[in-house]
Amino acid sequence: MEKVIVVRNPHGLHARPAAKFVRAASSVQEEVTIEKNGKTANAKSILGIMSLGVSRGDSVKLFVNAEEREDLMFRLEEILTAEDES
Amino acid sequence: MVSLVIISHSAKIAEGVKEMADQMTGGAVPIVSCGGFEGGLGTDEERIRAGIQAVYSPDGVLILLDLGSAVLTAESVLETLSDSEREKIAIADAPLLEGALFSSVEASIGSPLSKVKEVAEQAAFFRKLETGNS
Repeated sequence: MEKVIVVRNPHGLHARPAAKFVRAASSVQEEVTIEKNGKTANAKSILGIMSLGVSRGDSVKLFVNAEEREDLMFRLEEILTAEDES
Repeated sequence: MVSLVIISHSAKIAEGVKEMADQMTGGAVPIVSCGGFEGGLGTDEERIRAGIQAVYSPDGVLILLDLGSAVLTAESVLETLSDSEREKIAIADAPLLEGALFSSVEASIGSPLSKVKEVAEQAAFFRKLETGNS
């Protein structure tokens, strides 16, 4: 399953939100990736996520290699769109 | 879970690195800071030995350190430990702050010591200005 999300987190996917994102993605066995501008990063890799440089306003595509992971997709979207994330 | 030992010549640096890593992980990873010597700059064998013992875990301990004699001090502490303890402890050849931040997140997801160490060492190549935005 995949979903395109516009990042609303004021700080994008840096430092703390990035760490939170990696921990959430690592809670499942399946492959989880995030794509921005044609570049794909392993969502379980903190270096991969931080190197992708995701900022507020960016459009990213989340991919979870499983059909029934709505809970994870929801959690990842929540992290990316949290307006009050510090 | 792998735990981290932060060694710096400066107690303030070691504390600050721990503070930032704790915030990255939400405090999920045991991290101890071992900085300074006799109130000034330096590295203290006793403090490092106590730090390792405080966070020791059979899953492993990763040591991150700053420069020069920090390596020698950490190595002499390791020599005093038993073989079974020593094989669970690794020193990362990594930048102290970036290595600690990235490897703490890796440790928080339950990765083995070899992987946590690898992530710390890859932090040396992390670009700050040339990210995916370029």
